[in-house]
Amino acid sequence: MTDRSSPNTEEVIVAGKGVSPGIAIGSVYLYSRATIQVEEQQIRPNQVDNELGRLDHALKRSQRDLSKIISITREKIGDDSASIFEAQALMLIDEALVGEVTQLVKSDLYKADYAVRVVMEEHRQRLAAASSQYLRERVHDLEDVEERLIRHLRREKLISAIDHDRIVIAENLTAADLVLFSRREILGAAMDFGGATSHVSIMARSLRLPCVVGTHNLSDHAESGMEAIVDGFRGTVILNPTDETRRQYQLRQKRFARLLQDSQHLLSLPAETLDHRVVSIRANLEFKSELGLLEEYGAEGIGLFRTELLFLMEGRLDVGEERQFDTYRAINETVGEEVTTIRLLDLGGDKMLPMAHREHNPFLGWRGIRVLLDRPEVLATHLRAILRASAFGSLRILVPMVTTVAEIRRVKELVAEQMELLSQRGQAFDPDIQLGAMIEVPSAALMADRFAAEVDFLSIGTNDLTQYVLAVDRGNDLVSDLYQEVHPAVLGLLQRIVDAGNRHDVPVSICGEMAADTRIVPILIGLGIREFSVAPVYIPHVKRIIRSLEYEDVSRLSETALAARDAAAVDELLEHWLASHPYDLLHLVEAEGGPLPTPEASNLP
Amino acid sequence: MVTRTVVVANRAGIHTRPASMIVRAASKFESDFFIEKDGYEINGKSIIGVMTLAAEQGAELILNFSGPDETEAANALATLFEEGFGEAR
Repeated sequence: MTDRSSPNTEEVIVAGKGVSPGIAIGSVYLYSRATIQVEEQQIRPNQVDNELGRLDHALKRSQRDLSKIISITREKIGDDSASIFEAQALMLIDEALVGEVTQLVKSDLYKADYAVRVVMEEHRQRLAAASSQYLRERVHDLEDVEERLIRHLRREKLISAIDHDRIVIAENLTAADLVLFSRREILGAAMDFGGATSHVSIMARSLRLPCVVGTHNLSDHAESGMEAIVDGFRGTVILNPTDETRRQYQLRQKRFARLLQDSQHLLSLPAETLDHRVVSIRANLEFKSELGLLEEYGAEGIGLFRTELLFLMEGRLDVGEERQFDTYRAINETVGEEVTTIRLLDLGGDKMLPMAHREHNPFLGWRGIRVLLDRPEVLATHLRAILRASAFGSLRILVPMVTTVAEIRRVKELVAEQMELLSQRGQAFDPDIQLGAMIEVPSAALMADRFAAEVDFLSIGTNDLTQYVLAVDRGNDLVSDLYQEVHPAVLGLLQRIVDAGNRHDVPVSICGEMAADTRIVPILIGLGIREFSVAPVYIPHVKRIIRSLEYEDVSRLSETALAARDAAAVDELLEHWLASHPYDLLHLVEAEGGPLPTPEASNLP
Repeated sequence: MVTRTVVVANRAGIHTRPASMIVRAASKFESDFFIEKDGYEINGKSIIGVMTLAAEQGAELILNFSGPDETEAANALATLFEEGFGEAR
């Protein structure tokens, strides 16, 4: 029974954003990256040997952690991101740490924890004085090592030592953290920061962990050992659920498990409406290691391969041609006859390289194709690597962040130049490779017909398009409720893009979170979209709802939505429609279930 | 003793990755290796030392080597700096 008298056992519901579907129920492991309290403590002279023994033990344990982290990171993400941890491992054998700490223990009789803090604090301060922000931020590498070492000195539980079957709650998690946790078979995760397209969210989906991000100050209220529920559908986290809440969620959990089982038979079936309109569902991918998911979820090729990671991991723009080629070729070969869409490097906005300029308004600044056209040598190498990979399957190139037709024309010229160069070198490529424009900026959406006349396909990036059309940064809590994907202004642009594609006989695909939202899919089908690209885990769910729709029916639904006065009216319309067509994920998971607590009913203190 | 003056060429400066390249390269040699910047000197075989130099692009560093293989060490390290650690300039 829930004890209502103590505030620590009261049910608390926190709203965030569901970024990986599923429900996790279990006890919390609160992962804190907060600086640990270290007080000045001294030892007696006869304790020096013992203290140095403790230090040695902690150094060894830390070294062991890091080698594990390095090997998992290499396997799951790549060599380049592992290099940061290799540097941390070097610190553990550095005389500037070990020598100085040993000295302080011996001469000043400091307890090892305190000596570590004193020594590292001095190093950190020197680095914090750097004038380059990027170098200043390397302080985090020093902090990570210090924290690991002190926790081992205190024999505290570290990531590698948490119990199985926990829900990890943190202020912030990195993709690498999640990889490590996943080895301990965690049930789910929730974090105060993060967005749906951040690496950690993508990683959660690849690992099939229910995950909610953007939970504000959840980590301040959670405690290790507390019971919690992570609802990756609704994007809520419940601490200390009541017996009734737990029962409701257990029901939904079972239902979702059954749904997943049932979706096995969908794998070989086409995404086809009841009135035989065939749609293709492709995958959004980012890691080479995700390639196995294509078959697992029945993806019809790749609708969006993000190339940023390859560059961000190396921390530079001039990643070599061979290295890029190896990656693209492996992807294209795996996908085989289906389409592989490689998006050109889309840096800028929130994905920055350390050498980038500081901008007042990065989302309106140097990003996407703008960066590439300013760095023709980088684009040339990039294109050569992609072109060479095109010899191994059916590959197409997608150009991000275009605002004018001139940009597309320039890319075409560069593609032709690189083809010429490859011919001279005697290297193979697909001379008929398709080139597409990403429509994610209002100007490109408004002039979609002009773009359609220039390219082989259009791909709508709904995340950016929505934020640019509505002038809303969805990461900004003050305005994020205005980020409305079903706003008639957004839907109207989608309609315009689809029409332009039809007129020019150019296929239009949609990628972005909206495409994976089974609640919104009926409207998208009704608007005439026939190609979807979503995170692999959502493919069966999108396919299921498409197979229960009638095109005639949803095109009427879309017409009504287009004429709606605002997003709230569209939401209302959808709610009404879904009540009589309960095929979306939420309805399927929640069918026959009782009411759930909502964040409005009980908010954080 | 062999002394070389180098300039940090890569745009991001000596961050974690270049620092670990420097330390790993230097540790292959027996000679002592110190890096001097603005009159401040650190052990070039210490990753913490190299990182806390906070050497940005354009910073001038003096590399001092002394020991049996000082010339080879100086050549190897100077090359690393010249190549900008394989990063963008």
